[in-house]
Amino acid sequence: MFKKRLLLFALALAGAGAALQLTRGTATETPIKPPPYEPATRDKDGLIAAAGLVEAVAENTLLGSPTSGTVAKVHVKVWDAVKAGDPILTLDDRDLRAQRAVQKVAIEAAAAAAERAADAARRWTGLKDSGAVAAGDLVSYQMAAKEASARLALAQAQLEQTDVLLDRLVLRSPIAATVLQVGVRAGEFVTAGAKAPVVLGDISRLQIRCDVDEQLATRMREGLPAKGYLKGESSLAGAKDRSIPLKFVRIEPFVIPKTSLTGASVERVDTRVLQVIYQFDRPTGRALFVGQQMDVYIDASQDAPGK
Amino acid sequence: MYRLALNMLFGDLAKLAMLLCGLAFSALLMAQQSSVFFGIMSWTYTPMVNIRAQVWVSDPMVEQVNDAKPLRDTDLGRVRSVDGVAWAAPLHTSFVQARMQDGNFKLITLVGIDADTFAGAPAVLSQGRIEDLRLPDTVIVDEWGAALMGRMGVGPDGQPRNTPLKVGDTFEINDIQARIVGICRVKRAFTGGPFVYTTYDRAKGYTLGARRTLSFMLVEPQKGVPPAELCDRIERDTGLKAWTSDTVIWNWGERSLARNTFWWFWTNTGIPFSFGTAVLLGLFVGIAISGQTFYSFVLENLKYFAAIKAMGAGMGVIARMLLVQAFTAGLVGFGLGAGMAQAIGRVMIEKGMPPFVMYPQILWATFALVLGISLVSALIGIIKVSRVDAASVFRG
Repeated sequence: MFKKRLLLFALALAGAGAALQLTRGTATETPIKPPPYEPATRDKDGLIAAAGLVEAVAENTLLGSPTSGTVAKVHVKVWDAVKAGDPILTLDDRDLRAQRAVQKVAIEAAAAAAERAADAARRWTGLKDSGAVAAGDLVSYQMAAKEASARLALAQAQLEQTDVLLDRLVLRSPIAATVLQVGVRAGEFVTAGAKAPVVLGDISRLQIRCDVDEQLATRMREGLPAKGYLKGESSLAGAKDRSIPLKFVRIEPFVIPKTSLTGASVERVDTRVLQVIYQFDRPTGRALFVGQQMDVYIDASQDAPGK
Repeated sequence: MYRLALNMLFGDLAKLAMLLCGLAFSALLMAQQSSVFFGIMSWTYTPMVNIRAQVWVSDPMVEQVNDAKPLRDTDLGRVRSVDGVAWAAPLHTSFVQARMQDGNFKLITLVGIDADTFAGAPAVLSQGRIEDLRLPDTVIVDEWGAALMGRMGVGPDGQPRNTPLKVGDTFEINDIQARIVGICRVKRAFTGGPFVYTTYDRAKGYTLGARRTLSFMLVEPQKGVPPAELCDRIERDTGLKAWTSDTVIWNWGERSLARNTFWWFWTNTGIPFSFGTAVLLGLFVGIAISGQTFYSFVLENLKYFAAIKAMGAGMGVIARMLLVQAFTAGLVGFGLGAGMAQAIGRVMIEKGMPPFVMYPQILWATFALVLGISLVSALIGIIKVSRVDAASVFRG
């Protein structure tokens, strides 16, 4: 009897205890852990955040081809440093070379013809006083010699023209720069005026084009200092301050639609951005490439209207 | 005297069993139903639990976390420009159809997190590395989803496979390959779809037609700035809506997105009504059965109480005796009921379905209600005994 009673009490106590144990931890908040890689953290107030894209100073030269044709040879690789006038691409020149060979022979033929006509004219002119030749015939011989020499000059000019055209088939760098992108291989066809097959840029100094939302544009002023944080660099272990100091260059005077869009046909632009250009020296000992994205914080705390 | 009361209580085992059954089932029903209710409601704000950040920023029209109204990508710059923000990261959430290897479709919760910092990444990975999410066409799937989708997969022999998906398996989202590089352990959601994590930029590719893809922004306040105050600043400077991320119902603040989500489901679904009726039913059944059984117990022992009265004991003594009897039954009944509820709960938690969250408050409330039932029963008995004439014991 008493045992049964005790058993019942024990059972009840065990049940309540187990239930209490199950409640443990239910009211604890899941902890907020810092992200696996430390984000670029703002260190002061009054900043304007912008998304930036690294580009070469004086922007990138999208080298185009003046003529259409098949690429015969690509002279450069990416990262090659080129001087002004260095060949970049050679288009297929076999047709012009064939034409040139014909023209070369044509010059010889014309030279021979000119020599023969000149010789005839000289000989008949020498016999002019003997009366062996009519005055009309003599003029005819002399004209023939002149005409033949003009033909020779024409043939030579055609050869020179072909040479110039041949030279045009070799695309040369207009500036001293680094090859950033080579979009064609030998054997591919390039169309005149189409998308640039080769991109050149001076990457000894880089600049960054920052997109500032138009709603923040009113806070932007000339000459504000800024700091940039390269995307993907947060994985650098132990690098505490990875900011890159930026030097103000200019504000683009025209507010443009934001460009990074998906390209869908139904797309409408919903944001316009003010572009601000900053310059910076390539940081030593760190990999940094043209076209990379940067988080930019522009320091407007000194001159923030409405603050 | 109390010993006598207990002997009276334990004297008739059949009646005692009936009394305890009533109380225990009442406690079981109230505790278990409330726990399942809070379990289901806690699933409604699962994204807040799985994706942790101090402050969430959304479109001003957002009412709850499962209903994202996408923002413009440049809004990230606007939020980062608010004073007091340490950092802000983009977050994409959407429901998309994933196509399994056997051609079957499954609705998934696609989560796009910032590829640079992985802010919002799942806290526990049981397989794989978060860094592998930087590889092309890669995703991280939750354990439950991996098991579920594994049942929908096709093995190398062309037969249906019954093993969970693992690292290296693939499926398709909008005809784009998704290769699993990790399995994470996260909480399941009310909306049912497994959580599939990818990077924010790749999420844009997976949700082809979506014009805007920035669902939320995860924001960390600078040191010394309280999250609620940062919310005020963000709302004032950007016109967007900012939320705190406290998810525990007993201490969430005014601005908690979980709290809003909870109340959204409270007012817009029949969940609280159906579970509320179940809990009330438990209470009424408890009062009816235990009250009635206790009353009949008192009736049966009425002559003993009359004898005690005749022996000169005051009504106070008898009332205390009855209270001791009722509360003893109540305590034992509560213990047994709570024990059954937690046993069912442990099975449910093991199976993961239906959700079961037994907050301590549920247990205390059940305890108080069971004691209340006991008190009501005791009062009925006390009234009955007080009306009996002590002399009746001599009348035979």
